[in-house]
Parts: sequence; structure tokens; C-alpha cells
Amino acid sequence: MLIDPKLQQPAEAVPGQPPARPAVKIDGVSKSFDGTLALEPTWLKIRKGEFLTLLGPSGCGKTTLLNLVAGFLEPDKGELFIDDALVTQVPVHKREIGIVFQNYALFPHMNVLKNVEYGLRTRGVPAAEARDRAMETLRLVKLDQFADRRPKQLSGGQQQRVALARALVIRPKVLLLDEPFSALDRNLRAAMQIELKEIQHSLGVTTIFVTHDQGEALSMSDRIAVMSKGRVRQIGSPEEIYASPADRFVGTFVGDANLLTGTVTTSESGTLTLDLAGTALTLPQSAAPEAAAGETVELFARPEACQLVAPGTPGAVPATVSFAVYQGAHVELHLACPAAAEGPIMLRVPVANVPKVGAAVAVALPEAPVIFTGEAQ
Amino acid sequence: MTKRPFLGWFVTPAGLIAIGIAASFLAILQYSLRAHVPGMLDPGGFTFDNFTTLLKPAYGKAFITTVLLCFWTALFTLLIGYPLAFAMLRTRSGWVRGAMLIITLTPLFLGEVVRTYSWIIVLGNQGFLNSALLGLGLIDEPISFMFTTMGVVIALVHFTLPIVVIMLAAAIAHIDRKLEQAAFSLGAGRVRVFLTVTLPLSVPGIVAASSTAFAWTFSAFATPQMIGGGQVVTISTLVYQVGFASFNFPLAASLSLAGLLFTIAVLSIFNLGMRRIERQGAY
Ligand SMILES: Nc1ncnc2c1ncn2[C@@H]1O[C@H](COP(=O)(O)OP(=O)(O)OP(=O)(O)O)[C@@H](O)[C@H]1O
Ligand SMILES: [Mg+2]
Repeated sequence: MLIDPKLQQPAEAVPGQPPARPAVKIDGVSKSFDGTLALEPTWLKIRKGEFLTLLGPSGCGKTTLLNLVAGFLEPDKGELFIDDALVTQVPVHKREIGIVFQNYALFPHMNVLKNVEYGLRTRGVPAAEARDRAMETLRLVKLDQFADRRPKQLSGGQQQRVALARALVIRPKVLLLDEPFSALDRNLRAAMQIELKEIQHSLGVTTIFVTHDQGEALSMSDRIAVMSKGRVRQIGSPEEIYASPADRFVGTFVGDANLLTGTVTTSESGTLTLDLAGTALTLPQSAAPEAAAGETVELFARPEACQLVAPGTPGAVPATVSFAVYQGAHVELHLACPAAAEGPIMLRVPVANVPKVGAAVAVALPEAPVIFTGEAQ
Repeated sequence: MTKRPFLGWFVTPAGLIAIGIAASFLAILQYSLRAHVPGMLDPGGFTFDNFTTLLKPAYGKAFITTVLLCFWTALFTLLIGYPLAFAMLRTRSGWVRGAMLIITLTPLFLGEVVRTYSWIIVLGNQGFLNSALLGLGLIDEPISFMFTTMGVVIALVHFTLPIVVIMLAAAIAHIDRKLEQAAFSLGAGRVRVFLTVTLPLSVPGIVAASSTAFAWTFSAFATPQMIGGGQVVTISTLVYQVGFASFNFPLAASLSLAGLLFTIAVLSIFNLGMRRIERQGAY
């Protein structure tokens, strides 16, 4: 199994306070459809007030996991806890959750106010109080002046804000959002991301957010769970995910990545030496403690951690410029390199300092690159 | 515009039929404005008498009977048809769905006469229904279904059900399941989800189905004729009686026209109601 047990520890305690109980605990939950496993047994703990993102390519099981938490699906195995209460058998309408759907799913036969009030009326909140609380939540999403409109009379972004208000007004124990912004255009999307993050933070509502957009995940989340093929590959803060990916999949799915293939020459007394297609590289042994001499490994480095240096610089990998892409603020250089594991190596250089296509250059690698060994490759 | 030589061929059959229908309507119209000469099949001169005759209580009563028949039939067809359509769409078992579909639709392939005849067997005093109720000790003497409005309504409901179920199923299938999921997640139980989301969103389908049921029943002839046996007089049975028993073609023609105008009026009201609902932006 790839999942590192330490990644499944409870969310770390706030210093000086007793360890917070998780708001959501997913305990070995798995799900298959017609014999095909859509979600492998998964363990996850989500802190109160935390913004957790499920990130992964299409079909990796994000919606399945979210629907299991919501109660639209029943797990084959495992248990679910919300606020320490076992909810595996609890039907959707008794779980006290708020859901925001991708296509808004606003009730077309009710006006905006009635939509937002709905969850309060089902809970038996008196009409006047329900109205006040709905208006208050509409103010929170800056839509109080549209209370009388029908959903059809609103723009996509406005509809999504109504959907958010409708889910938040019931003060849910968990807020679930399944690709809520994917139908919006880029600018609106960015604005909505900020707005959601602000509202989520001010209300302190525990949130599970599903997206396949890594930028969205990096900018909004407290923690990200990167998924692939029905499995959580890594859970961590955006910084951890970006800087220390657990495996090749996470490294290449989140952000741009350069991968080089190398062979371990020696691994002893605190030093690891690699042979990268003829270039010798010396690293601290802690970069890959388990690597044994003779083993093939992959060296992973973000473009911004690599530097263009003069050919012949010791420890730098020789490469040739294959093409340059002008990007306004900088130029993206694509380099052919004998040590590259797949495709060219990519670097960003200032516009003023672009070598010619075909020029021989060298790439200095970061001092502590991530090394993938064994299954992580 | 480019010439589309085949288009003419495509619409020709429909055009010919339309001309035929228009011609027959004109024939009925001119019959309705001619005097009836007793003992003669050919009508007499121009007159409005046929329409003034229609104001007599006997004809008014037939109108009222027909409208009530339509109303009860539409109501009971909806009450039976909606759950049927709903269950048919929402069942998880393909086998159950298939069976329901077949049971619902087969009556459509039997003629009205065959279906009505089977209802006579079921509804008669010694029929299946009465025998069963008597046998179970639920009643002491047979209920008369034959020659009563109730009997006619029962048979008409069966006659109307397939078309109503098809229309309702189309409307319910159109409802976004995500809306129901959203309502669930907001704390509504099954019944509440149905009453506040599914049912209101089926209204366009219900309106369309009931207007169709209305027109469908209004034009029914064999059922009221055979099960009503002259005791339940509707517009269609009256047209038949006046036209083919008394051979008063002009009066039959004016009665048909009045029925047609009435149906058009009712359907327009349904249509207006539908437009109002649509204008609210709800569907
Ligand atoms: N109701 C279902 N019946 C059968 N298979 C399903 C069902 N729902 C999901 N699956 C399968 O389970 C896998 C995971 O699906 P899921 O919807 O969770 O993916 P996802 O990560 O949300 O993808 P996307 O980003 O495209 O929404 C897919 O292979 C999908 O085909
Ligand atoms: Mg999905």
C-alpha cells in the first residue's frame, strides 16, 4: 500500500489545547459499482472548520467519496462519523449537511428567498424567523436585493451564490461542494473562489470541496487530498503537496514538474550519489533513505527550483534548448536532456536572458530534490 | 431561397388530409344551418333553428353530463396515472418497469369496443366485480355499474389511462433528480420532497395530461354508448341518436359543432393556464 500511515493520523492538535475531535471521520470506507472498485478503502479525518479539497483527475472517485459523506451512496464497507456520531446508516435528510451542486440545482418554482428558506422550513423554523435568517444569509452572499427573483432570472455566478446561501443557512455540520465553479468563466470563477474562502473562513464551517483544478485546490484549501484511481495518494497542506509530493502522480498532477531518471551509485554514510545519464550528483542520503546501490530512481524538481547555468558546471545536467515559448513576463524554455524521464525539461527564464534554440546549456538541480523510489515512480 | 424539390412531396399527404378535414367541417357547418325535413335525408333551406333547439334543457343536460364525465375521468385517471407513471420511472428493477409499461400500454392496442365489451363482462350484475364483492361478503346485493355514470367513468378511466401515463411519465422524467437530492440534503423527507419539489415540477405535465384526458373522454363514443346503455347521455351518444336514429342530420351537425367549439374553449383555457405558469419562469 502506498498510503503512508502517518498521513492518516488525526489532524494535528492546536498547541496548548486538547486535540480537536474530527468533524468528519471516514473510516475505511469503500465503494464499488457493479463489481468495479470506484473507491478503495479510505481513511480520512477532517478537522472542525477545515477546508479540505479532494483533487484528482476525472473518474478518480471524488464525487463518489463526496456522495458517501452526503449519504446519497451507501458504503460497501467502513463507517462514517460526523461530529463523532456514527452516520453510516443515517439518511441524507438527517445528516445536517449542506450541499452545493455543480449545476446549482436551485428550485425553479420558488423565488430566491423561498429557495434559501427551504432548509429552515423543513426544520420547522417559524416563517418569520426563517425569513430573517434567509435574508441575513443572502446579505452574506450579497444577493439580498434579488430575494424576489426566480433562479432563471439570475446569472450563473448569482445562482451559485444562492445555492451557497441555501446550503449555509441551515448551519450545516459539513459543507460539501462538488466542482461548484466549473460552469463559470475564468474571472468569475476566481472571484467566487475568494468569496467562498472568505465566507467559509468567517463562518468556520467544515468544508469538503471537490475539484479537478489544481490551481483552485492550491489557492483555497487548508489541506488537499490528491486522489487517483479510487485511491487517496497524499493528504497535506498545499505547500506540502506542492513541495514534497509523495509520488510521481501527485508531483505531475499538481503543478509543473521535471522528472529525471537516475541510477543509485552509492548510498552510504549519509551520502547518496546518483548517475543521471553520465552526470554524477551527490545528495544527502535522507533524500531517499531506502534507495540501494544499483536501483533506478526518479528525481523530481519544480521548474522554479532548477537553474540555467553554463555548460560544464559541475553537478549540472547538460541539455539542449529545443524551443522557447514567450509568455509575457517570462519565457518557458523546453530543453532536451538525455536524463529526462519523460518529455523535455522545462524552465522559466527572464525575457532578457533567452538562449538560442539548439544552444548547449546545463541545468543546476535543487540541492534537496524529491527522489521517488520503488512504487512511487 | 434555394429550391427544395422534395419538401413539396413530404407535405402533400398531410395537405390532402387537411383539405379533406376542412371540407368535411364545411359540410357539417352547412348542414347545421339547414332545416330538417322530417322523413327526408336531404335537408331543407337555410335556418338558425338547429342552434336554438340546442338551448332546450335535454341538450344542456347532455352537455353537463359530458363535462362531469370528463371531469371525473380526468381526475381519477390522474390519481391513478400519476403514481403509476412515477413508480414506472423510479423503480430500480428493469423487469418491473417493463411489466408496468406493457400492462399500461396494451389497452392502447385494443379498440375501444373490445375494451368496453370486457368492462361489460366485469361490471355487470353477475359480472366479475360484483361476484367477487359478493363472494367476499363485502356487499349484500350487486352494485349497479351498468347504465350508470360510475360504470361509464370506470371504463373511461381505463380507456384514458395509457395516454395520460405516457404524458405524465415524459413530464416526470424531465425533472432534474439533483433538485430532489438538494431537497433531501436540506432536511426534507421523502414525502416532503415529493410534495414540495417533484409534484410542483410535474404541473406542466399534469396540465397537459388532463387537457388531453378531457378531449379524449369528450370524444369517447363506444364506452358511454355501450355501458351507459342510453341512460348516460353524452354529446357523442346524442349526436349518434339524433343523426342515425332520428336521421336529423342538421341537428346532429349543429350538436357536433357546439361540442367542437366547447372542446376548443376548454383546451384554450388549459393552454392559457399553462402559459401563465410558464411566464412565471418556473419551468
Ligand atoms: N452510479 C454509478 N454507477 C456505476 N459506476 C459509477 C457510478 N458513479 C460513478 N461510477 C464510476 O466510479 C468511478 C468514479 O466516479 P466519480 O463520479 O466518483 O468520479 P469523479 O472523480 O467525480 O470524476 P469527475 O471529475 O469526472 O466528476 C468512475 O469510474 C465512474 O465511472
Ligand atoms: Mg465528479
